[in-house]
Amino acid sequence: MVHALEGIRRLLRPDGSLIDIHPVLEAPLVEIHRGGVVAFAESSPSYDYEEDLRHAEEALARIVERGLFVTDRGGEFDFLTYGSSVAELRDFMAEAGAYDDRPEDDAAVARKADLYARVDEVMRASGDRAEVAFHERGRMARLTPVR
Amino acid sequence: MSVRVDPEGNEIRALFDLVDLSGRDVLEIGCGDGRLTRRYADSVSHVTAIDPFAEGIKRAEQSLSETSRGRVEFQRIAFEEFAAATEPSTFDTAVLSWSLC
Repeated sequence: MVHALEGIRRLLRPDGSLIDIHPVLEAPLVEIHRGGVVAFAESSPSYDYEEDLRHAEEALARIVERGLFVTDRGGEFDFLTYGSSVAELRDFMAEAGAYDDRPEDDAAVARKADLYARVDEVMRASGDRAEVAFHERGRMARLTPVR
Repeated sequence: MSVRVDPEGNEIRALFDLVDLSGRDVLEIGCGDGRLTRRYADSVSHVTAIDPFAEGIKRAEQSLSETSRGRVEFQRIAFEEFAAATEPSTFDTAVLSWSLC
């Protein structure tokens, strides 16, 4: 990751900037929204990328420590993906994550299936206006290369 | 009903709050299906959006609007290979789009 960040620095003009977007170090939520109200929320058991996130944070800290970049500004934001059904959302998330061919832990798969079965049950009882949402929190930071 | 991704626009609002992309040459790394690219493409001079995942790039190209076509270039390529083939100091802004981890 540090090597990639060094490569990005080489490609940037002297007055350029790097914008990094990645998830925060906390599990995303699976929610049900009904009429603007969150009727259900539970942490997603598929949060298995914590180690990757820590490495990403460490890489960013390292390039700042080495004086290659300075961090100008940053902040966090909510990032929600909505589906009209559990099946629709799961199909979408599976397609979006298809680039990652690492096998999922069996226990995590089972916990995810259990969660989504419960979400499906609540959705069916919630009526047509309900939506299921995958709620992540993202961190975005602007870094400026030091020349 | 189709899936709605960030209909609130929180991500693009956060991006525009951090950087003015007007007239800029942008490199987006990990563009996936072009979801974020489409949201800022009309602001920039040019964006090169890369991702090694072929299916994502295919969907990105298919869903690009006519107004953005002249200023957006999607490439199916890994960053290391792209960087090795690219001259230094080419871009004003690089966006690591949920791809550092």
